[in-house]
Amino acid sequence: MITKKIFSLLFDFFVFSLGLMSLLAPFILPQARSLNQQTATFPIMISLILGLCLLIMIFEAQYSLLDSKMIAFLAVLIAINAGLRFLENAIPGPGGFSPIFILIILTGYFFGSRIGFLMGTMTLLVSGLITGGIGPWLPGQMITAGWVGQSAALLTVFVTKLGWKGKPIEVGLLAAFGALWGLLYGVIMNLWFWPFLGAGVGQTFTQTVSATENLQRYAAYYLATSLVWDISRSIGNVLIITIMAKPILKIFQRFKLRFSFENQGVTAL
Amino acid sequence: MINSSIWILWTVAVMVITLSIRNPFYLILVIVGLFYLGHRLARQKNISAWVLSNSRFILTMILLSTLINGLFAHVGSSVLFTLPKGWPLIGGNITTESLVYGAINGLMIGALYLLFNIINLALNIKQITRLIPRAFQPIAMVVTIALTFFPSIQQRTQEIKEAQMIRGNQMKKVADWLPILIPLLVSSLENAILLAESMTARGFHKQANLKAPLALVSLILAAFAVFSGWILQVYRYPRPIYITLFLLGSGLTVLTLFTIGKRSKITRYHQESWRLLDLLMGFLITFFLVSFAYLALTDRLLSLNFSPYPRLTLPRIQTLGIIFSLITLLPSIISNHD
Repeated sequence: MITKKIFSLLFDFFVFSLGLMSLLAPFILPQARSLNQQTATFPIMISLILGLCLLIMIFEAQYSLLDSKMIAFLAVLIAINAGLRFLENAIPGPGGFSPIFILIILTGYFFGSRIGFLMGTMTLLVSGLITGGIGPWLPGQMITAGWVGQSAALLTVFVTKLGWKGKPIEVGLLAAFGALWGLLYGVIMNLWFWPFLGAGVGQTFTQTVSATENLQRYAAYYLATSLVWDISRSIGNVLIITIMAKPILKIFQRFKLRFSFENQGVTAL
Repeated sequence: MINSSIWILWTVAVMVITLSIRNPFYLILVIVGLFYLGHRLARQKNISAWVLSNSRFILTMILLSTLINGLFAHVGSSVLFTLPKGWPLIGGNITTESLVYGAINGLMIGALYLLFNIINLALNIKQITRLIPRAFQPIAMVVTIALTFFPSIQQRTQEIKEAQMIRGNQMKKVADWLPILIPLLVSSLENAILLAESMTARGFHKQANLKAPLALVSLILAAFAVFSGWILQVYRYPRPIYITLFLLGSGLTVLTLFTIGKRSKITRYHQESWRLLDLLMGFLITFFLVSFAYLALTDRLLSLNFSPYPRLTLPRIQTLGIIFSLITLLPSIISNHD
């Protein structure tokens, strides 16, 4: 059991670092910024590698979890979340605010990292399908949303260890987590798009320029283009989580009991 | 209507060609071709002003990219004007070359954006869902159910919202959405239980045994091969090395998914048919792609590369390059006969 856990942790770490390394490539690979490199292929290659990471993660998650109960449960939650994405403009909130994160975070928090990951990735996939938003940006969005749900499971460890379950601080922690991801989501999505626009910037980078200077440039780009949106997304997350987290967790609690029907004598096909 | 696999093949071909081009003339040709195709598709689907809204987006993209590169990159010999050196990051020479370089980037982003916009137009949701590999059958199931439930959930949201408004809910604050979200969640999850029970009753409890640690290992190896191939490419290792790694990675992925997919015994309804024209098109696109790869790798299509630095010159143009840029028009030939 313990070796299995260690294996699964190692596995998560490997896939996570592969994804992160591809996203951070413009910083850690000085050669990538050299003169004749076709920097515009960069985001596409990153998407490809993120896509492969997604394949692995989803493949692993689906066979360890999904039976008819979980399939139906997840599918309906995803449909609700995709519907919420359409309400983005209807729900009064600051600009750049998106209501999809609350369900992803709470699902990851309540049902564990794998389900949280699937919830995040599939929400983005399904709403992409509905809105006609299939494209090279999708793997990046999917994996980031997946990470949101996956990392929410870390909170469970904290909360149970410290005995905060059911206390107001539980919601506070979740809200802080939502605020953090509101910002991080923007930072990561920008990382993907940055080499596109920053491609020509590579011209000014000699290979002696350090990663920190590059980081500075990224920070300037980020401040100029997206910080305001991301902050308002953060605030939106905090608002919606403080108001809605508790009732939703209660519903999850109730349905977890109801979804736990067992059937005997069933063998895999 | 072209078979969806052919559309995917065409997308890959256009993407490969677009990404290998740095010549603005060819890029413009690609974009014009995509606009023509998109216009036809949008007209078939009665979408108005497709060209207008997309050209607005693309022009913004080009402008933005030109500005950003012009402001941040201070290389090039034709100096337009100079910003004070003291300004952080943007201080320095603003050159024609860096503006042109930015515009080329913008063209490339625009072409890719259009390409995927067209794919979303050309394929319907059912066709895209069907493209999910058989090895991911549970996931395909989740996606299908979610898509099926989506309209009814929207309708239910509307009903609950109306009921709440009748009761005097003003819908002004975030908190006002709580009495909508909670009933929505409860009633939809009730539906999910019914669905799960009926699935179980129909013998659908556990999916075909997909447990395959070996498959997982080979997928990880494949991802690692592609990743390291990419790193080696960035560091300009000899071409055969990284191309072998790319081929190895993609081959391993396809093979693994194929063998796992064979294990899940599922029935597929409404299979897409293959017509002679589809096969012909597939052959033609493959031929284009292979010959393009051959010519580009043997350095016979030098006019694809163009760099405005250090001094702006007119890009070279080859007939072959023009022919390859027109690959975007291939699907519109076939629909002429529909």
